[in-house]
Amino acid sequence: MSTLQTIQRMMVEQFELKSEDLTPDAELEALGLDSLSVIEFMFNIEDEFQIKLPDERVEIKTIQDISSIVERLVLEQQKAAS
Amino acid sequence: MTRRVVITGLGIFSPVGKNPTEFFGNLMAGRSGIGHLQSDFTEKLSIRIAAQIRKYNPTDHFSKIKLSGIERFSQFALIAAEQAVKDAQLELAEHEQPRAGVYLGTGMGGAGTLEDGYIEVFQREVPRIKPLSVLLGMNNAASSHLSLAYHLQGPNVTFSTACSSSAIAIGEACRKIQHGYADVMLAGGSEAMLTHGVIKAWEALRTLALEDTTDPAASCKPFAKDRNGLVLGEGAAVLVLEDAERAARRGARIYAEIVGYDCSSDASHISKPNAAGQTRAITNALRDARMRPQDIHYINAHGTATLVGDIEETKAIKQAFGDHAYRVPVSSTKSMHGHLMGATGAVEFMAAVLALQHNAIPPTINLHQPDPECDLDYVPNVGRSDVELNAVMSNSFAFGGSNAVLIAKRFEPR
Repeated sequence: MSTLQTIQRMMVEQFELKSEDLTPDAELEALGLDSLSVIEFMFNIEDEFQIKLPDERVEIKTIQDISSIVERLVLEQQKAAS
Repeated sequence: MTRRVVITGLGIFSPVGKNPTEFFGNLMAGRSGIGHLQSDFTEKLSIRIAAQIRKYNPTDHFSKIKLSGIERFSQFALIAAEQAVKDAQLELAEHEQPRAGVYLGTGMGGAGTLEDGYIEVFQREVPRIKPLSVLLGMNNAASSHLSLAYHLQGPNVTFSTACSSSAIAIGEACRKIQHGYADVMLAGGSEAMLTHGVIKAWEALRTLALEDTTDPAASCKPFAKDRNGLVLGEGAAVLVLEDAERAARRGARIYAEIVGYDCSSDASHISKPNAAGQTRAITNALRDARMRPQDIHYINAHGTATLVGDIEETKAIKQAFGDHAYRVPVSSTKSMHGHLMGATGAVEFMAAVLALQHNAIPPTINLHQPDPECDLDYVPNVGRSDVELNAVMSNSFAFGGSNAVLIAKRFEPR
């Protein structure tokens, strides 16, 4: 399963959103997620992908944004660990 | 000249009923909501009974997106408020929203969230806890969610005075309208503290009722010789309070007028109740209502079923009511819905208001062994529906010594 697919599955589970609405460019706000729901979701993302989000704020508007950040962090933090 | 304040909407989510009709029907039938606590920690408790809201599925009421930001005690408050607002057919135009507010009471607010966080940090030693913990757990979360849901831009305040929290919330909300600071107030209380740690703390205080082994539902026995403590409960009750003229203008259905309120402090002991302080609250509420003792036709007692508490309240009623104390029916509905702490004042005031509406007095159940020191008419075991009520009182006497008394009267237009 790709990063994007995993994120989509998590969104369906956590928020009961319809998977057909979860296109990569779908805006989180339009899906009904406010800033707090996104914080809550990113908390679970950290668990799922075994990563740690940086302390500085990152701009997250779409599902693709989440996916890109996750892929970048997974790579960086794998490198750092090896 | 203060303005008159009326009740135009009721909402309740309680262990004995999930709406006002079900709630009052069960109270009149003497049905108890007390039973074995259903939880994953019950076997670790010494006392395993509680008044729990059964068959509660949050997703029946809220979307999953919303739920991640709404604590259990806020959920209860929102459910009760939705009923109350609908019941009142309340609509607030944009210019009215700054003149509408919310006052709620709670004892321990988001106790479950705090406890979950502590388990993560101290027991599991994880480096981080749920990011919304603060917003979920804060004591004013419930009132703030009500403010958000109904665009209440006036005062939004949470009262925390243990068992009298929501009685004080209602009384102070009433004052806010009386003195012209608001036209509409949602008022009530919410509590969701049936958590492992909180129940352990109550166990240690030795004020909880021991389980009645033959009938767990009958464990809470207010005013009875064999009473031995209170039973913790959860839930919420919310009322719509409104300036009487506004209510009349829009042709709202009026349940009752709030005519009397007072709060006092014992200033004598942190937990031991004191009849003198309670008497002051009752007497001052009567004075506020410009009523004599004989004008009160029913008292919903604080009646926790603790050894000392029921005797002190009995004394206080005698001191405040004189000879009439023996003629006024007094019942403790806690025998059925348990002690909802920060929500209990609102739940019981609502029971009194419904009694007024239906001309019916709910009983004190489990009262089979009279106590010579508790010698008033406690409406033992069987409710009364052959009565005519014109005014009712609700007592709330808290740990910390904070007392509150509310009086509601059948509404008569001038």
